Amino acid sequence: MLKTSMFPRHSRSFIAKASFLAGTGLLALAVGCGRDQVSHYRVPKEAVADHPDHPGHEMEGMPPAGGDMPAPPRPAGAGALKWSLPKGWSEVPGEGMRFATFKSPIQGRHEATVVVLPGAAGGELANVNRWRGQIGLGPIDEAALAAARVVVKSKAGALNVYDFTSEGQAKSRMVAGLISTPDGNTWFLKLTGDAGPVAKAKPDFMRILESLRLD
Amino acid sequence: MIKTLASRIWTFLKSFQLTIVLLALLMCLVVLCTLAQVEMGTQGAVNAYMRSFFVKKQFAALPFAIPVFPGGGLVGLLLTLNLIAKTLDIQRTWQKAGMWLVHAGLVILFAGEFVAGMMQVDTNMSIEVGQTVNYVQSYKNMELAVIDVTDPAWDEVYSVPDTLLSRGGAIPIPGTPITLNVKRYFPNSELSNLAPGMPPSMATAGVGPGIAIVERPTVTNDNELNTGSVFVEPVAGGRSYGTWLASMAIGAPQSFTHEGRTYSLSMRLLRQYLPYSFTLKQFRHDVYPGTQIPKNFSSLVQVVNPSQKESREVLIYMNQPLRYEGKTFYQASFGKNDTLSVLSVVENPGWLLPYVSCVLVSLGLLVHFAIVLRRSLKRRQDKKEA
Repeated sequence: MLKTSMFPRHSRSFIAKASFLAGTGLLALAVGCGRDQVSHYRVPKEAVADHPDHPGHEMEGMPPAGGDMPAPPRPAGAGALKWSLPKGWSEVPGEGMRFATFKSPIQGRHEATVVVLPGAAGGELANVNRWRGQIGLGPIDEAALAAARVVVKSKAGALNVYDFTSEGQAKSRMVAGLISTPDGNTWFLKLTGDAGPVAKAKPDFMRILESLRLD
Repeated sequence: MIKTLASRIWTFLKSFQLTIVLLALLMCLVVLCTLAQVEMGTQGAVNAYMRSFFVKKQFAALPFAIPVFPGGGLVGLLLTLNLIAKTLDIQRTWQKAGMWLVHAGLVILFAGEFVAGMMQVDTNMSIEVGQTVNYVQSYKNMELAVIDVTDPAWDEVYSVPDTLLSRGGAIPIPGTPITLNVKRYFPNSELSNLAPGMPPSMATAGVGPGIAIVERPTVTNDNELNTGSVFVEPVAGGRSYGTWLASMAIGAPQSFTHEGRTYSLSMRLLRQYLPYSFTLKQFRHDVYPGTQIPKNFSSLVQVVNPSQKESREVLIYMNQPLRYEGKTFYQASFGKNDTLSVLSVVENPGWLLPYVSCVLVSLGLLVHFAIVLRRSLKRRQDKKEA
């Protein structure tokens, strides 16, 4: 059942490979069966917690948006957050598990999203490190998390807000706030995209965060 | 009686008519497969038409698909047998040495395609500038990764492939006290927040209890990805840790702790970890001056292989892949404002066969030409002497 391979070696000389091909049929069968095993790898911890180009990972790990996907049932009652949008901004109901998407009047690649997950959704540190991973930054510890945290006050309570900018040639930036509501859900409000447009949209986005309320 | 049957089969296998029919069928398959790519995507169409023994069609009235056309595998196999039969029919004399080489080359070419069809593994590697990656991942296949994240420096990754999840039942995770009870597996699904009044989720732990799930038909198209999801119940030391929902659509980390060791559960594309790593130092996307027409894409990677005590820079660019440790890394795509490079990774143990075949066929033709030329010159000489 177990295919315990620290790291499978693949280097073989071409001659060895050519002779190896003699039993092609049997070998193919063996390989075909090999996929149905639990594999074990011991790997160094990843600096990047998530795969960068996985569809959906850029936006909170949401399902690929399909055109015919119905709008999600909105958390209602005491738990549902409300907000006011700045001038020029609009709101599109979310698809799948995304609650809403904000459209800003600013040009350039960026996006603001609202996602609700039940419970603590894995915890603040794990989520922050996942976000950092999405823009190619390494994980941080509790102390660094506390240092990076900015608390924004709103009528719905205090939001923990983080602002990270990637390294590299074209910088990506992410401004993300999270807040727990009395019904036990955790709300994630994220502004992500290229560093330039995100910087322009940030003041308005912060105003949205400050406007949060529970009706 | 048996002898006549055997000789009949032999005559059938080496007949030219069979070659013609098979080649015609192959041409039809190429056309059908090309058209099918519109709906099924490249890989889906190739698997359905070329890498199968029969092309099957599902009729509404029948519960199972029935074969409607010979597939590439069957046509290829018969063509190979036809070729081998023809080859064995060639006289075993030095005069025919060239023909033997040509036919052997063709047989090897066919064998190469069978090896590729059965053993080739296509994966990809996405790296951002400055990032180090030590794994390749599948385009379509998924895995449930059970990761022991307790050690601060290392992760113990236990990968449960989707093929195993789809069988359901209890899956012991070797090397750990955990057994996963697969409650239900969805090859493709759609997730949404659970609304009041909806039936409760099967999940009892993690983010699952607040999520509604609906099964969807699987997709094979190139630009669509199945959202695989699974309800699993980890059991360790006789204790159940609740039923968890792991899905390609859930990015939130979910974990439980058993006897001081923390295990995370996540559904993701199937990964293969490598004994070496690539660090993307630079990605270039050059355009022709004054236009947006791409001129060149290239990735400068640092290949670090501790087991070989190797660390070197390699430039991978269009039509100039890196062949390393049995895998070929091609520059395939890019993204995130030219800071992300996607390398397509192909592992084909038979990649050398088409080259061997080409050399043999070329050599065979040259030898045959030389033999015919010599014979012809000799005839002319004989004529003169006569």
